[in-house]
Amino acid sequence: MPSSSLYGKKRRTTDTVLKVLINGAAAITVVTLLGIICYILFNGLPYISWRFISTSYSETNDELKGILPMIINTMYIVVITLLISAPIGISSAIYLTQYAKQGKLVRAIRFTTEVLSGIPSIIFGLFGYTVFCILFRLQTSILAGCLTMSICILPTIIRTTEESLLSVPGAYKEGAMALGAGKLRVVMGIVLPCAMPGVLTAVILAMGRIVGESAALLFTSGLSYNMPKGFWSQIFASGRTLTLHLYQTAREAASPDAMHIAYATAAVLLILVFLLNRLAGLLSRMLRKG
Amino acid sequence: MSTSMMSAVIAQKNQKNNNIKKGLAILLGLLSVLAFFLPYMQFVFKNTTYVVSGFQLATIKGFRVIGPELSGLVTIPLLTRISVTLGILLAIAGIVLLLCGKPALAGIAYILSGITPMIVLISTSSIQEAVTQLNISRISIDYLWPSIYVLVGGIICSVLSLWTQGTEKLAESIFLVFSCVSVGSVILITVYIFAAGAPAIIQIGLGQFLFGTQWNAEANLFGILPLILSSIAGTIGAILIGVPIGILTAVFLAETAKPQVARLVHPAVELLAGIPSVIYGFFGMLVIVPTIRDFPPFKDNTIGDSLLAAIIILAIMVLPTIVSVTETSLKAVPQAYREASLALGATQTTTIFKVSIPAARSGILAGAILGVGRAIGETMAVIMVAGNVANMPSLLGTVRLLTTGIAMEMSYASGLHREALFAIGLVLFVFIMIVNISFTYISKRGVQMDAE
Repeated sequence: MPSSSLYGKKRRTTDTVLKVLINGAAAITVVTLLGIICYILFNGLPYISWRFISTSYSETNDELKGILPMIINTMYIVVITLLISAPIGISSAIYLTQYAKQGKLVRAIRFTTEVLSGIPSIIFGLFGYTVFCILFRLQTSILAGCLTMSICILPTIIRTTEESLLSVPGAYKEGAMALGAGKLRVVMGIVLPCAMPGVLTAVILAMGRIVGESAALLFTSGLSYNMPKGFWSQIFASGRTLTLHLYQTAREAASPDAMHIAYATAAVLLILVFLLNRLAGLLSRMLRKG
Repeated sequence: MSTSMMSAVIAQKNQKNNNIKKGLAILLGLLSVLAFFLPYMQFVFKNTTYVVSGFQLATIKGFRVIGPELSGLVTIPLLTRISVTLGILLAIAGIVLLLCGKPALAGIAYILSGITPMIVLISTSSIQEAVTQLNISRISIDYLWPSIYVLVGGIICSVLSLWTQGTEKLAESIFLVFSCVSVGSVILITVYIFAAGAPAIIQIGLGQFLFGTQWNAEANLFGILPLILSSIAGTIGAILIGVPIGILTAVFLAETAKPQVARLVHPAVELLAGIPSVIYGFFGMLVIVPTIRDFPPFKDNTIGDSLLAAIIILAIMVLPTIVSVTETSLKAVPQAYREASLALGATQTTTIFKVSIPAARSGILAGAILGVGRAIGETMAVIMVAGNVANMPSLLGTVRLLTTGIAMEMSYASGLHREALFAIGLVLFVFIMIVNISFTYISKRGVQMDAE
């Protein structure tokens, strides 16, 4: 495509200005991202050590400034939330793409999914607090946080799974049906396995969302930093995640030492999110290649 | 001959299997009827324990409780009575329907009967409140096995009775039920946000609440005009910065960039969307706030935490949303439009700004609106840079937004103060719903326009 007019003689100044603006905007976006990443990693990486990752945390004891409890809490929330939300989300996507006929119900499901994805996490937090913590009497607990988060990530899972289910060629389904397979067998045996990378992408995107979430968990899963006492009892206990730990330590930091903890936590979070992001990218590329 | 015999055998086997499922569903249904006459809940007050069966919950008036200062009758909420009774009636209805050969309806009846313990669980919270008013703080309400059985049994019976119609039908019903979860949660969220927020607005007065300029919890002054205006100012600022940069970046990705470069920039935008908001806040707190504080022209009239800092952070955070929506709609513009424009002698930039962008304008508008939604709703990043004092918005002054207003005080608020925070949530929710619905409307109209 020629970027100047015929014979390349006339160059208009507006063209050059707009070109510069376009490239400048893209540069701003990339530089901002790199700036944030470099700043956090540069300041945080030196303070990450095995000790930091493997010890518990205490506000008074200077020896105990690790993030092990927060890592465990984050893992609890990720696993339980996905256990609740992934089956629901994947089933919804299957229903919407394979079974549903266009109608009021389907429109309602699509509309509400869209609405859910637009509701800010602080509203989810308020809702989770009134319903799960108070009405269901779960108090501030990991379980209440998980229930709140599973509503939060539902749209992400439904939408991404739906896309990958739709990308499965219709001929596969028709072939299976022609061989006499029932609808359920076609869906479970052909469509879902073919769309598996996409479904996994959905789950990983949701994981990234859960790891990064803070406002919805502030009132529901609480801020306790105690080491988990038991495998099952921790589900009903309050516990802060990595994000809330970063928020709390950054706000309360009075000394440079406390700031180091915040930097290191931010770096751990960033690395985690980066890895999940790469994994999702890799899987969706796999799906595209087939 | 042999094939017809085989199919007869299979049919017989299916019939037998179905009878087993039906029998099990009826048996388990009878068990859940029985469960109503077994100990259902246990109330432990200070030194007395009441064990109540479902039947008693539905029939007795309440408990006579003797507290340290007051004593009185704690009534069982009407909703509790109704739902306990409904539970037993629905279970019976399920059994009858199954015997009449209506498995689909029986499945619905059973699952509704399984939901009733949840409603009992929710509605008994008011017992707790009533008892707290009698100055008895130590009370625990426990659920005994029969009530949990009603829940689990209801679900199992429902699955069994649907299963008698064949695996295909069962699978479809399960998928359908799960896909209604999102509808249910939106309805629940709307109901609870309104129920939690409305009382405070009524008590304070709508005008006083929305247009009051003072927020002071100690003096019982709850006016959120500064919060609303700050939220609007923050959002507009973020959009004014974020939209042009976002659109131009999208143009870069979709139109001008070499494929190799686009392949590098595209993941960067995705990553920008994935960074947790706390990290943006942390970055803002440590980099943007000090920069504003030490910037020579501002130096004397700001402490750094300001509306400006919030605007910059929000602008960065809405970028990925705007870029990805705009890029998608630019890529949807037919290539023939561009070719036609280039063939008329227009340059590439003229083509972009006179053809591609106008053709994609509904998508770009939708992206901007989505960005507005993101910016209004953002909490944790803003809370770390905005200073959180309920001032009228000024660019370099500290501000408190709707979202940060809720998050700041929720942990220690009580009484009317707490209700006022829920009311802020309601106002925010209404804002978001307006934004959301206009987004849906515009993106739908865009699709229609493209179709024409």
